[in-house]
Amino acid sequence: MPRIAGTDIPDRKMIRYSLRYVFGIGPKTADDILAATGIDPTIKAQDLNDQQMSEIVNYIDSNLQVEGSLRRGVAENINRLREIRSYRGDRHRRGLPVRGQRTKCNARTRKGRRKTVAGKKGVK
Amino acid sequence: MSRSLKKGPYVDEKLYRKVETQTQQGTHKPIKTWRRACTIVPEFVGHTFQVHNGRIFNDVFVTEDMVGHKLGEFSPTRMFRGHTNKKEGLRAGK
Repeated sequence: MPRIAGTDIPDRKMIRYSLRYVFGIGPKTADDILAATGIDPTIKAQDLNDQQMSEIVNYIDSNLQVEGSLRRGVAENINRLREIRSYRGDRHRRGLPVRGQRTKCNARTRKGRRKTVAGKKGVK
Repeated sequence: MSRSLKKGPYVDEKLYRKVETQTQQGTHKPIKTWRRACTIVPEFVGHTFQVHNGRIFNDVFVTEDMVGHKLGEFSPTRMFRGHTNKKEGLRAGK
């Protein structure tokens, strides 16, 4: 199984799709990589030869931020917002939506599972 | 949506001039302001602003990291003190 960007091991799918298993590579970036390296997007990941592999790896290393370094970058950005005590940082800290969405209802992605409060209207 | 680049960042003229004069004089007295929508530009770094939140003025000491944000982002307008517990809820007439 080929390895790209650290521990990621895309499998026996077309390289165009298997590249997307890397954090930081989506449909657009995957196609960009293959266009830039001139590799047939429909070839299976396991059928890539060593030279093609290294071309892909080289391209990623020199042009993209993926996996760990990308995750770190995102975390740093959030941390910056927290440290300067900005409104957005505060919302991150409280686990509420950051971009001005309503929180009266919905916002469940950020708030997590509903925490039912006893004695509130409708709850007996 | 972000602001058109053509216009540049929104910086309040008067506030900017105030900062300039302070820099020239070398003083860093806190500047009282209601201009929450004013973008923080590099010239503001090191100055303290007292940003109004509708009720009081919050002290905001501007650091390098804050450049590009608005003054209002650092002066929260709402305060959440937590939900009432059952007893307090009753007291509040629930």
